[in-house]
Amino acid sequence: MRAFRIVIAGHGTLPAALLATAELVCGPIADITAVGLEPGESPDHYADALRAAIGRDHGLDREPGLGGRARRVLVLCDLLGGTPFNVASAIARRSPRVVCVSGMNLAIAVEAALADGDLDGALVERLLEVGRSGIVETERHRARRAS
Amino acid sequence: MSLRLVRIDDRLIHGQVVAVWLRALGARRIVIVDDASAHDEFLREVLTLAAPQGVPVEVHDVAGGAVRCIELAAAQEPVIVLARSPRTILSLRRAGVPIEVVDVGGMGSGPGRKRLHRTISVSPDELRELRELERLGTRVQIQIVADDRPIPLRSLDSGQ
Repeated sequence: MRAFRIVIAGHGTLPAALLATAELVCGPIADITAVGLEPGESPDHYADALRAAIGRDHGLDREPGLGGRARRVLVLCDLLGGTPFNVASAIARRSPRVVCVSGMNLAIAVEAALADGDLDGALVERLLEVGRSGIVETERHRARRAS
Repeated sequence: MSLRLVRIDDRLIHGQVVAVWLRALGARRIVIVDDASAHDEFLREVLTLAAPQGVPVEVHDVAGGAVRCIELAAAQEPVIVLARSPRTILSLRRAGVPIEVVDVGGMGSGPGRKRLHRTISVSPDELRELRELERLGTRVQIQIVADDRPIPLRSLDSGQ
């Protein structure tokens, strides 16, 4: 069972659509939220929404199994340098239990959703690898597979 | 003259800047001039994280930014200069930075702010500062993304 929560952050309707599509692939996903940046929404307003989705360190988001520590949160962002990423990376720099990844895609979202256990360094590495390895062009991919 | 874009944007680096403007201008460096960010190590670091690999981000206060912009204006490397407010650009201009055109790309709404065009709003002080820039010979135009047709301030500002 996955011990951490997931927040999908991005521009417009992409987070909600990515979440819906991930559920199409792997069925209903627990402990996951999508937070889209609306056109014209200020970074401060978006930061409030993202913080609410991540949950406070001293809020209700505590697991007895973790000795009362707040759960880790994986924030998946759509675009490096975009406002959702900038806001999430600022939160992650201040809160060690928050991990911020940019360049999310369906493969990363599914891998994260189906992950077991806690959000440790090895899982973060695996998510980055899964995200990158699915980016291919068929001819080059075929040539590489054949060699 | 390599200051490809001098832009006023209260969000500094964000999606429109990294996904559209960097590519449209072939810029290889982002220079941020902002006193608050320059004097805050945390903000500096978050801004540095926002740029893609291979695009260095410099964060300067107004005094240091003026010196750096003059140097970069004379160099070949294409750069984007970002500031939060017209006041900063006016300070750069007065310090001798050659700015032919300033692009107003992001100025949010709020109490006491007048809507100039679509998502661009200004306070009375900011409007005065933009007019002063025009008086000094810098053209002020609104262009949110690279595909938008630039709209000159003069065409929107009846009080000028």
